Amino acid sequence: MLKDLLSVHKTGFKDYTELRAQVNNTKRVVMLAGNMVTNVQSSEGGVSARVYKGGTFGFASGAEYSKQGVEKVLSAATDNAIFMDKHVNRSKPPLPSAQSGNFGLTITPRDDIPQSMLIDFASTVDSMIADKYGKLSSRSVIANSLDIEKLLVVSDGADSHFYQPRSLVYVFLTAETDDGVPVELFKSFGGLGHFDEIFPNPASLTEELDILYESLMKKREGIYSNAGLHKCILHPDLAGMLAHEAVGHTVEADIVLGGSVAANNLNKRVASDLISMTDFAHTALGKPCPLPVYVDDEGIIAKDAVLIENGILKSFMYNRETAQHFDTAPTGNARAFAFSDEPLIRMRNTAILPGESKMDDMIASIDDGYYIVKTGNGQADTTGEFTFSVELGYEIKNGKLGKAIRETNISGVAFEMLKTVDMVSDDMNWECGGFCGKKQAMTAGMGGPAIRCELNIGGR
Amino acid sequence: MNQQEIAQYALDNLIKAGADKAACTVSCGRKEEFNVEAGKFSLLRTLFDDSLSLKALCGNRKGVTVINKLEKASIDKAIEDCISLAKSSLPDEAEDIAEKLENKTFDHHSSGADLDRLFERSKEFVEHVRDEYPKIILEGMTADYNTNQIIYLNSNGVVFNENKDYYSMSSMFSANDGEKASSFNFYEAAFASPDTPFADLGMHSTLLAESVKSLDTRMVGGKYVGKVIITPACGVIWDTILSCFISDRPLIEGTSRWKDALGTKIADSKLTMSLAPLHPGIIAGERFTSDGYESKNTDLIRDGVLSSFALSLYGSRKTGHPRSENTAFYNIEVAPGDTSLAEMIKGIDKGIVLNRFSGASPGPSGDVSGVAKNSFMIENGVITDALSETMVSFNIVDILGNIPAISKERCENGTCILPWTCFDGITISGK
Repeated sequence: MLKDLLSVHKTGFKDYTELRAQVNNTKRVVMLAGNMVTNVQSSEGGVSARVYKGGTFGFASGAEYSKQGVEKVLSAATDNAIFMDKHVNRSKPPLPSAQSGNFGLTITPRDDIPQSMLIDFASTVDSMIADKYGKLSSRSVIANSLDIEKLLVVSDGADSHFYQPRSLVYVFLTAETDDGVPVELFKSFGGLGHFDEIFPNPASLTEELDILYESLMKKREGIYSNAGLHKCILHPDLAGMLAHEAVGHTVEADIVLGGSVAANNLNKRVASDLISMTDFAHTALGKPCPLPVYVDDEGIIAKDAVLIENGILKSFMYNRETAQHFDTAPTGNARAFAFSDEPLIRMRNTAILPGESKMDDMIASIDDGYYIVKTGNGQADTTGEFTFSVELGYEIKNGKLGKAIRETNISGVAFEMLKTVDMVSDDMNWECGGFCGKKQAMTAGMGGPAIRCELNIGGR
Repeated sequence: MNQQEIAQYALDNLIKAGADKAACTVSCGRKEEFNVEAGKFSLLRTLFDDSLSLKALCGNRKGVTVINKLEKASIDKAIEDCISLAKSSLPDEAEDIAEKLENKTFDHHSSGADLDRLFERSKEFVEHVRDEYPKIILEGMTADYNTNQIIYLNSNGVVFNENKDYYSMSSMFSANDGEKASSFNFYEAAFASPDTPFADLGMHSTLLAESVKSLDTRMVGGKYVGKVIITPACGVIWDTILSCFISDRPLIEGTSRWKDALGTKIADSKLTMSLAPLHPGIIAGERFTSDGYESKNTDLIRDGVLSSFALSLYGSRKTGHPRSENTAFYNIEVAPGDTSLAEMIKGIDKGIVLNRFSGASPGPSGDVSGVAKNSFMIENGVITDALSETMVSFNIVDILGNIPAISKERCENGTCILPWTCFDGITISGK
């Protein structure tokens, strides 16, 4: 556990200053077609300082977390802030004051999970797959854990000690179509918690693996989708990614200042009135979020950012500086991934809120369309234009699920597509298996219900 | 301990602790980075950046640990962890380290650290964009100077030293005019000195000007199969070739559609594609692989024939194919063709110029589908309107045999050297 070597410097801060000690511990095991191709453990940590002066920041980081190491980065960050203030001279006022506090650990750090636990788990799951599923041409199992611990001291705001373990297993299955073309499907398991808590034994994945294999066998016999605009049901996992990628990034205040489509749409209708969307800090609908954030890396006590309410764009996500620009309060979205990263505006747990429709009714309501179940990844533009891969989907004919479709893409413009939403399911899924990219990587939760909408689908 | 002593200490102690074979890389570096957000300077960032990577093989069982602290207690723990990882791993006879050939020191330097000049170049670029492209919002820009000293040792006696420093920059921008906004675009470059204005680097000015033109867009009507010119700014073809067909994963899994194609024709004869970390236009390119071999330039596809896979030492021993001469999978060079870009455009009745592809990473089938971003229509031999919501779909294996022309002109950004390449048989569709 990190010792506090930071607080002693607090009385010496002259300008707005953050000092952050951090360590990211990673374990990773990869089984590829029965071979253990990766068996890596890493520990990367250190201390960083960021100093604000006249409208620009100076930042410095180093691996040495000691009295001398802290002094070195504090001095370098201060020098950098002075350089920038002298050469850029933005002459901005100091950042507004923030609520003070001191937040301790909500999860106790552990370092008693050996790499052999991940090795045993991954190799056992790999053997289970090899033994049970006969029509695979290849398989891959990845066991991964990432524990992040941070100690933050700020000149103004809340100090905190943060620890967040995330444990994940990814399974990729590959089969060939009758004409020899490989098709693949993957699923991620896990989330917040230590590896042994999340994955008590490999057999706990059996049911989900059966479903994954059955889905792959259907995809193997899949048909090409009919390219064009179609009525679609998006599975909750896709709605979550849509919330994050296509809408969430456009309402990060730094992206807004960079010219995103959201800049001209505040307090305007951007979705049907069935759509409400929030970036939750730590608690959503009475339950803990997948990756709770109580204090951000600028020492701001995190609060929910209500982004869309009944179809109207209500607000953005802010750090201290953009909140000052927009004359509002920061929301606690400033987060840094590694000790050597400066905090950027990042989503925490972004979700479309559930509605009232039943999934079966939603499927039954479509005569000719698609049920988009799974995406591999997606990209979105500051214009709100998005593209997601479709790893698994089915055609809907006369209100019933039909054949699986081959890999394709869906695309659209978020604020136009969301206006076509006319049904929202009453259930909700959360997911936190991936990394968000924006200069730095970042863990993020995303969630949502199933939605019925119109989408442009690729194919032939 | 100095850097050399750390490397030797770690290697010796891995062997003492039970490793049959071991390798160690110690890197010490520093980065200075200017940041711009929304057209204004926001941050100067200094990173003191160290790392130690250890690899141990105990009875063909592999363990790897990576840390960023170089004091003795941390190194000792990393050695202990590395041996523990190896002993709990599964045995695999394909695991190995490089044999000793010739030990070397590599020095590749920039014009020297000049942060004041780098700042002036950054400021000049911010002002240039503001003055020359008033409708462009510079969403973000970084400009940095990097210096690294790297030592690699392994227990077969391989010793490599590398000292390098270089500059790089990246920008992200879009055009805005009232309610209208273009898609974002970006440009990245590495360079040996900050002598050249950032706007004059590679395609930077072209992409900025095209963003402004993209404020007014047109959607492709319906669907057709046509020609697409992939510009040097778009890496979708080259990245997919590497990730889906010729790298470790698809070849070890056996899912690559080219697993048995080495030495056979897989593309039009006009296509020669190489990994070229030693090319003079590549800045701070790889000098030795993580396996411990000196890097050499290598052709992947020569005159349309698949001449090499991009395999690591492990991938090579696992599949029985030769390893790649380097692992600089990002330093791609494509040989120029014999058609000028102007002639290439003139020869297309109906097609598009693709500057950026937004879509998912393709799967093993090689099917690619995504949205054409920052891209333009070609009609009757002339580039006309910017595109919106236009999808392109193709299969890499199919279209590589269908290359009507490759441009004489190429563009360098310090990382890649690429021409404009025309592919036929691509499905282009609007709403």
